[in-house]
Amino acid sequence: MRAAAKRVMAIARKEFIHITRDWRMIVAVLVLPLLQLLLFAYAISFDVRNVPSVTLDLDKTAASRSYLDSYSKSGFFAVHGSVSDFAGIDGAFNRSEARVAIVVQRGFGDALAAGGTGSVSVLIDGSEPNSAQLGQTYAVALNQSLGRRALASWAEARGLGNLHVGTIEPRVQAWYNPERRSADFLIPGLMIVIIMIVTVQQTAVTLVKERENGTLEQLLESPLTHSELIVGKILPWALLGVVDTVLITAVSMGVFGIPLRGDVAVLAVGIGLFIVCALSLGLVISAVAPSLESANIAALLVSFLPGFMLSGMAFPLASIPMALQVVSYLFPARYMVEIARGVFLRGSSWGVLAPQVLSLAAYAFIALGIATVLNRRRRA
Amino acid sequence: MSLRRLRLIMWKELLQLRRDRLLLPLIFLMPIMYVIMFGYVVGSDVRNLPTAVIDGDRTATSQRLTDAFSSSGYFVITQRPASEAALRGLIDSGRVNVAIIIERGTEAALARGETVPLGVIVDGADSKTASVASGYAAEIVAAFDRGLLEKAGRAVGGPVIDARVRVMFNPSLKSVNAMVPGLVCSILMLSIMVIMSQAVVRERARGTLEQMMVTPITRAEYLTGKVLPYVGIATIQMTFIVLIGRYWFGVPFNGSVWTVALGLILFTLTSVGMGLLISLVSRTQQQAQQTVMFVMIPTMVLSGFIFPIESMPAAIVPLTYLIPLRYALVVLRSAFLKGSGVADLWAPLTAMVVFAVGIFGLAVSRFQKRLSE
Repeated sequence: MRAAAKRVMAIARKEFIHITRDWRMIVAVLVLPLLQLLLFAYAISFDVRNVPSVTLDLDKTAASRSYLDSYSKSGFFAVHGSVSDFAGIDGAFNRSEARVAIVVQRGFGDALAAGGTGSVSVLIDGSEPNSAQLGQTYAVALNQSLGRRALASWAEARGLGNLHVGTIEPRVQAWYNPERRSADFLIPGLMIVIIMIVTVQQTAVTLVKERENGTLEQLLESPLTHSELIVGKILPWALLGVVDTVLITAVSMGVFGIPLRGDVAVLAVGIGLFIVCALSLGLVISAVAPSLESANIAALLVSFLPGFMLSGMAFPLASIPMALQVVSYLFPARYMVEIARGVFLRGSSWGVLAPQVLSLAAYAFIALGIATVLNRRRRA
Repeated sequence: MSLRRLRLIMWKELLQLRRDRLLLPLIFLMPIMYVIMFGYVVGSDVRNLPTAVIDGDRTATSQRLTDAFSSSGYFVITQRPASEAALRGLIDSGRVNVAIIIERGTEAALARGETVPLGVIVDGADSKTASVASGYAAEIVAAFDRGLLEKAGRAVGGPVIDARVRVMFNPSLKSVNAMVPGLVCSILMLSIMVIMSQAVVRERARGTLEQMMVTPITRAEYLTGKVLPYVGIATIQMTFIVLIGRYWFGVPFNGSVWTVALGLILFTLTSVGMGLLISLVSRTQQQAQQTVMFVMIPTMVLSGFIFPIESMPAAIVPLTYLIPLRYALVVLRSAFLKGSGVADLWAPLTAMVVFAVGIFGLAVSRFQKRLSE
């Protein structure tokens, strides 16, 4: 047993020397994740603002001007200018200069003054569906409050006093993230994706490289067993994964003020298991891939895509088709994102997160087993 | 330039690709996986959100309000707990994503002409759902209010604003329609950058580059022969994406093939240039892979491909102008969905020409220099 431990440590040390010999590798493993975190945390959000808009005022009255003014003041529509006819709108849309066009029809002011119906159209460019969806919502809500104001001022002008119309006003509360900060929601998930990318990418090539350099044969000659080799290979990367996690967590909490509301022990156990899962996935690729190129591309496919798309990190998974749901359970990121979000935001502890932690444990065990078996087969 | 030698280099490159039994399947699996995941996951539109309604009012009005939510198609009322105390468990366990709370006395207060709050609780730990759900809720309430206002306005003969909100080009607001043109560009870039930079670095790392240089092959022949097979592969990948998008997801194509082709040619030059530059700065294949990731991640995030540029903070937006994919996206999306022509798209196309000339030119000149050393 002691001899085995010594052999494992020898492999781990060798791997570690490989890593530290190349400064770029250190940068890739320790600095890049932090840069990614900063970039993502600042740039990603679904809170659309300042949607470029143009106006077309066919009415040209005080009423139409004040109506259009309220769009610029809304903070959602950034009114870049006005056009003089519909061709101008077509042009602005075609050149992608505007996503929204607001048209006040002729007779708008007179109609409102006379108690009639003032017509406006809001045209939205649907080629960017995220913005368009929100633009639609905002436009509807804005017009509702403008209509209410028009009615009130009409009533006042007529001396009808303050005309009160009862309306409903939604008061939206976002639980667990009351200010609806995208960063709060995204960072716990991002952390997982970044760790997944770093670890899978790195381990995917380790065995392939040994094979291509012919050093794997030399290792084979030594008393080293298959599982010792695997464990030794994994150890330094697991360590780096933990360092990455600590760094990212520190930056998330220090710079972005992400709360840590739940049980740190759950997070620690979860991350530990998750790192083993990710490393095993990398080793599986390493065992199967015939060359560095295919190992690299397979790693990209396995880590980047499912990490981003199927982890629930940014995109809700509830509405995706069943088949993809099943696929999403085949990657460890999905469980870990739930754990991270639970611990950071919801303040969950063992009780709620036990199923996820157990799934990860089972996953780690199975994946590591598959990696070992595949490597043994490959070498035999 | 001898066509025969050129053909031989390309042939060698393809033979090498074929020898790696995992590489070709991966190359062709990649675009298919991308379209399916982006189409279904990013493109999935949030609908049928499980919703809890707490109706404290129990009147005809509260009933109409509840109906307005359930008939919208966005919310499915699955739970009707008696009090707010039960909500926490429901939201924690994920059994509902949204809760709507109608206070007691809503109908009476409306009749008195007051503004009545309607509680909408969303799970803020799930940002996209939260943002979309609160948007839908606001829209439904606005429509409900408009009904009330119009009734009141008509009763006293007051004015009404009739706002027609219409979505053009992609009226169903299907995300996948915007996704597919974007995917075409990003696969082109990813594939050329990853596969080509690996192939070029490999040659140097193994020392076969020197052997190549002692043959009568000229540098231009070598470069062209090295680049063309990968451009060919990327073209096949793009064709896959367009076909799946067109016939599986039903993405419309309203534009001119020439505009799209022009945009893609310019973007291909840029991507080839970036791939070559990456292979120049990397000594090992692993370094090349790291560098690709280093370039790819900001490109994906900042180009507006997944996350709209309008949602980025003002300090980040200037950075997006440095991303070539940003312009390619504008060109392809506009051409696909809006049928914009070259004249409409002159501004992004000019930017693309600048990138293509700059990056491709720099890469080729540096590469030539490297080869002659």
